[in-house]
Amino acid sequence: MSFFTSGLFWFLEGVLFCIFILAVRAWAEDRSIPMPYWKWISLGAWVFLAGFTLAFVGTSFGEGEPAAAIRGGILFGIIVVIAGAGLWRLLKMESSQGEEKLATETEE
Amino acid sequence: MKRSSRQRPKSSLLLYLFVIAALVLSAWYGRTRSAPDIRPHLQEIYPEAASFTVLEGVYAVLDERGETLGWAASGSANGYAGPLQLLVGIDTTGTVSGTSVINHRETPVFWRMVRFPEFFSEITGTPFEKIDYSYEDVVGVTGATRSSDAIVASVRQAVARVAGERFEVTIPIPIPPWEFGFFEIMIMVLFAGAVASRYLNRPMSQGWRWISQVFALVLLGFWENSPITLTKLTGFLAGWFPEVRTNLAIYLLVGGFVLSVLIFGRSLYCTHLCPFGAIQRFINLIGGKSIHLPVWSVKLMRKMRDVIVFGAVVTALAMAQPGLAHYEPFAALFSLKGSMLQWFLLLIVLLLSLIMDRPWCNFMCPMRTGEWALQDIRDRVARTRRGSHESRERGDQT
Repeated sequence: MSFFTSGLFWFLEGVLFCIFILAVRAWAEDRSIPMPYWKWISLGAWVFLAGFTLAFVGTSFGEGEPAAAIRGGILFGIIVVIAGAGLWRLLKMESSQGEEKLATETEE
Repeated sequence: MKRSSRQRPKSSLLLYLFVIAALVLSAWYGRTRSAPDIRPHLQEIYPEAASFTVLEGVYAVLDERGETLGWAASGSANGYAGPLQLLVGIDTTGTVSGTSVINHRETPVFWRMVRFPEFFSEITGTPFEKIDYSYEDVVGVTGATRSSDAIVASVRQAVARVAGERFEVTIPIPIPPWEFGFFEIMIMVLFAGAVASRYLNRPMSQGWRWISQVFALVLLGFWENSPITLTKLTGFLAGWFPEVRTNLAIYLLVGGFVLSVLIFGRSLYCTHLCPFGAIQRFINLIGGKSIHLPVWSVKLMRKMRDVIVFGAVVTALAMAQPGLAHYEPFAALFSLKGSMLQWFLLLIVLLLSLIMDRPWCNFMCPMRTGEWALQDIRDRVARTRRGSHESRERGDQT
């Protein structure tokens, strides 16, 4: 049994995932970024897509299909990066709006 | 970043002459290379063949005792990137003995998709009058329709030749119907819209460009996967023009590209109809950044692009293989077919698009080299006409 199919791997992955979610929440709170449900869903979908891409590449290599791993990795990798950039901008846009609102409230 | 006609470097006449001479010489060399040796293909179809004679384009294949084993004839049709030639053998009973591809010029990635060995094995052993020329047997998973059509047309032509000469049976060669439908109409609409948008105010013109690019991405990209490629242009340069009836779309696109540069000084295909340009624009919209490189590096990269395009075209013409010039990553994106180089190019270009304005169009696209050359010709003609007009006016005054 390799490390990637062991229970320890999945335990560590679960821990990392929990830390990631807590970190996102803390990051948004620090910057006064509102995180409604649709943002969490978008973020979840992106994390799922990124995880799927990694799994696709890993499994394809594991199955002895390096060409599929590279091509699929490139294709899904591009989608993940572009979707990530879009999501990041969406979050940042909300952040700047929040900061402007905060500044206006302080002036008043 | 944007290069206006005033900033464009003036190409020297010597450079033009060199480029034209190199293109003509390589095309001439490619076309006049020794004709393919038919013997191994005849041997492939008739392993026991000892000799053959040719009469009116039909090979009579003889065994060691001089008895006729059968006949064979070649058929040829234009594929995606040039003519495709194959040989069909028919024995004395009128049954197909075998088939062999003599040469083709198709892009390797797409050629591999065509299931011609299955088609060949299906028709082998069949009486020539009962051959089923249905396309579904030849076309692979998707795409490569032009190559498949060329294979079927070549087989039919070769069979018709043997049947007519040796069996006195006429096999009709159907004239393909005009392919003029929604796709071709949309190309014309998009070009007409692009021309009309030049006379609109800026917001409306830009709005139309976005709409046009959405259509271009869906129709020319993901639906038809038919952007203009260097392979296609090299085929034109080599003098291999595909059947107009079945390839009207590519003529509309190339014609629109050339005419728009010559009339308006810029390619409306690149600004409104190129699906790869469109996807770069959309990604840049998501990225929201547009970094500017130093002018010297931009100039250097464009010069490198021109040299690469020139080298690719000359090599492809000299080898009589337009498919060799194929380096664009369009097929990797739009039909998920491509070499490793094209996949990596796609990765680099699309990721760069997040932070740069259309990196492929600005630094790598061979169409820009063509656009630049046409712009330069346009400018030279305009200067010459202006010069002759001024000298005529001076002559009138004196």
